[in-house]
Amino acid sequence: MKHSAIRRRTLVSSLIALIGSAVAATSWAQVDKPLRIGFSMARTGMLANATPSQLNTYELWKEQVNARGGMSVGGIKRKVEFVTYDDQSKPEQAVRIYEKLITDDKVDLLIAPWGTPFHIAIAPVLEKFKFPMIGNTAASVALRQVKPGYIWFPTSAIPDRIGVELAAMLKANGVKSAVVIANVLPFTKEIKNFLEPELKKAGIEVKLSTEYPPDIKDMTSILTQVKQANVDAVLALAYPGDSVLYAKQAKELGIASPFQFVAIGPSDAFFVKAVGAASAEGVVTIAHWSPRAEWKGSQAFHDAYVKKFGEDPDYLNSALAWMSLEILEATVAKTGLDKDKMRAMISKDTFETINGNVRFEGVQNVITPTAFVQTQKGKLQIVWPTALASGQYETKKGW
Amino acid sequence: MSVLDTLLSGQLLFSALVTGSLYALVALGLNLVYGTMRMLNVAHGDIVMLGAYGAFWAFTLLGVSPLLAAPAVAGAGALIGFALYRGIFRRLLAAGAGSAGRLEGNSLLLFFGLSIILQNVAALLFTPNNRAYQYLGDVVRVGNVAMTGNRIAALAIAGGTCIAVALFLRHSVAGLAMRAVIERREAAFIVGVDVDRVQWASFAIGFASAALAGVLLSMLEQFSPFSGFPLTIAGFIVIILGGLGNVMAGLLAALVLGVIETYGVALTSANLRSVLLYGCFVAALVLFPNGLFARRKAAG
Repeated sequence: MKHSAIRRRTLVSSLIALIGSAVAATSWAQVDKPLRIGFSMARTGMLANATPSQLNTYELWKEQVNARGGMSVGGIKRKVEFVTYDDQSKPEQAVRIYEKLITDDKVDLLIAPWGTPFHIAIAPVLEKFKFPMIGNTAASVALRQVKPGYIWFPTSAIPDRIGVELAAMLKANGVKSAVVIANVLPFTKEIKNFLEPELKKAGIEVKLSTEYPPDIKDMTSILTQVKQANVDAVLALAYPGDSVLYAKQAKELGIASPFQFVAIGPSDAFFVKAVGAASAEGVVTIAHWSPRAEWKGSQAFHDAYVKKFGEDPDYLNSALAWMSLEILEATVAKTGLDKDKMRAMISKDTFETINGNVRFEGVQNVITPTAFVQTQKGKLQIVWPTALASGQYETKKGW
Repeated sequence: MSVLDTLLSGQLLFSALVTGSLYALVALGLNLVYGTMRMLNVAHGDIVMLGAYGAFWAFTLLGVSPLLAAPAVAGAGALIGFALYRGIFRRLLAAGAGSAGRLEGNSLLLFFGLSIILQNVAALLFTPNNRAYQYLGDVVRVGNVAMTGNRIAALAIAGGTCIAVALFLRHSVAGLAMRAVIERREAAFIVGVDVDRVQWASFAIGFASAALAGVLLSMLEQFSPFSGFPLTIAGFIVIILGGLGNVMAGLLAALVLGVIETYGVALTSANLRSVLLYGCFVAALVLFPNGLFARRKAAG
């Protein structure tokens, strides 16, 4: 009996000790608990091949923040942990995931999924739960219709601005005639709709304007017509997949127009691997970032990315992703996790990023200018607007 | 240069032939497997995708030319086909021997699962990044036709393989056995054709040709773990157009499809590509329900 009494006492006391230590552990954990940041990303499905440059940027940032001891939350450093799901390239799936991240996973902060349709799809969720999130890889005039308040878009690559600026750049470089070939997907189609009237205003003759479907496998018939048109500029409003097809077949058919604009693709490292250095050289594309001394941290970001992933960051999407994280970090350092305070600060403060200063009016960044980059000796240089240029535009001398 | 000149230029013809021969090669394996076993391999395009990765890694990691890697990649494809047949599909065939409808349904589900697994394993192992490399990218000019070396190689190899398989089916004993199983399965069995051997050979040849198509495509365009599905669809259009299980007709149908795609787009607009393709497809189904080239079979 005695034996069992002792055993019971030991049991009870050890239980108490155990509970006590568990309570102590949780109270400690309140301070030390990692900061959980949620997002969805297209890891599978038709868009999965477009997302790694953004996801890599997130991973690089997390690594750097944790190496610094964590992200400052109102002055207290907390390690960062990602809560992430695959949205299977479906915006409606992203909607469900962001709801789950907020209500079920109860994440502390949210960062953006990939692409315009996903940003637009989740905006109402952010609004419903009053959860602010800084977007990144979204660009469309439709973004301006998104109700401001809980989502912001740092890009300046909005199609109507691209139309105006590209026409101005073409005119400034003596282009008199052009052809426009456009993928019918939303972003490039939007650019086409805004670009063609601007070309007309600038007195540039559009000798051929045609569209093609996203699943195009062969451009021979379009490009024979492009070649016959014999124009100063080819404006290929292409997505990553068909940008490679265009470059390969332009080389095959010997398209000699000196100004070669390819909308999406050449800013990402895969492009040069796919088409070769000679073909990528001299191609102009959309991006408003490049590493430069006056943009603090831009060179360091570039070098760290190259070191970790063995290739250049995407000058558009990686840069935008990094900017959105910088803005988030600066905000949370001051406001902590109070969503109202965060929202107020993002809406009115000016933030220093690797792409210069950013300030939002409504949903849009009103400081960063719309710009174009050109591959020169294997490096992307900003060539327009001239005030921002890191290199002088050069004509393309063959493929 | 007028529209007529464009149409008569060799450039479009070359383009149509390249497209057609690649379609033919993709459809070939699909058709063999369907013909001999009545199984719809919806994972076929994913084998093409794996073949593309095989060539890509051989080229970028080992510096092996895709043309040299092609036999090895095709061999690996054949092994995968053989293993799948022995491991899974033979049992399925034995179980479903009584009902062709149930067999088609079950094999469809199995292949669908296989497709999802292959895509996601590839995404996990190789990342979803777009992959591409430069090989034989130099332009060769013959008359006024400009061709890159890799497209010439793709045309020659895809066309050559299809012709070789066609000759094999027509003239060799093993090929005749295969055709016998395709056309009259029970009768072939009764006269002593080793149906099991024909079936695993079809799986092996089917998967090998898919992997080879992947090698050729990887020289021409970029790909990712999710590039396979559209190729499966293209393959299905070809074999339905030619007549399910009719290998030779499938080859012709692929060329027809290449011509429609290239010339149709030249005459109308690239935006109408899908309308043209599926329009012809539906029209062919309505007018020739047994396939475009099914006359011989219908008479027999």
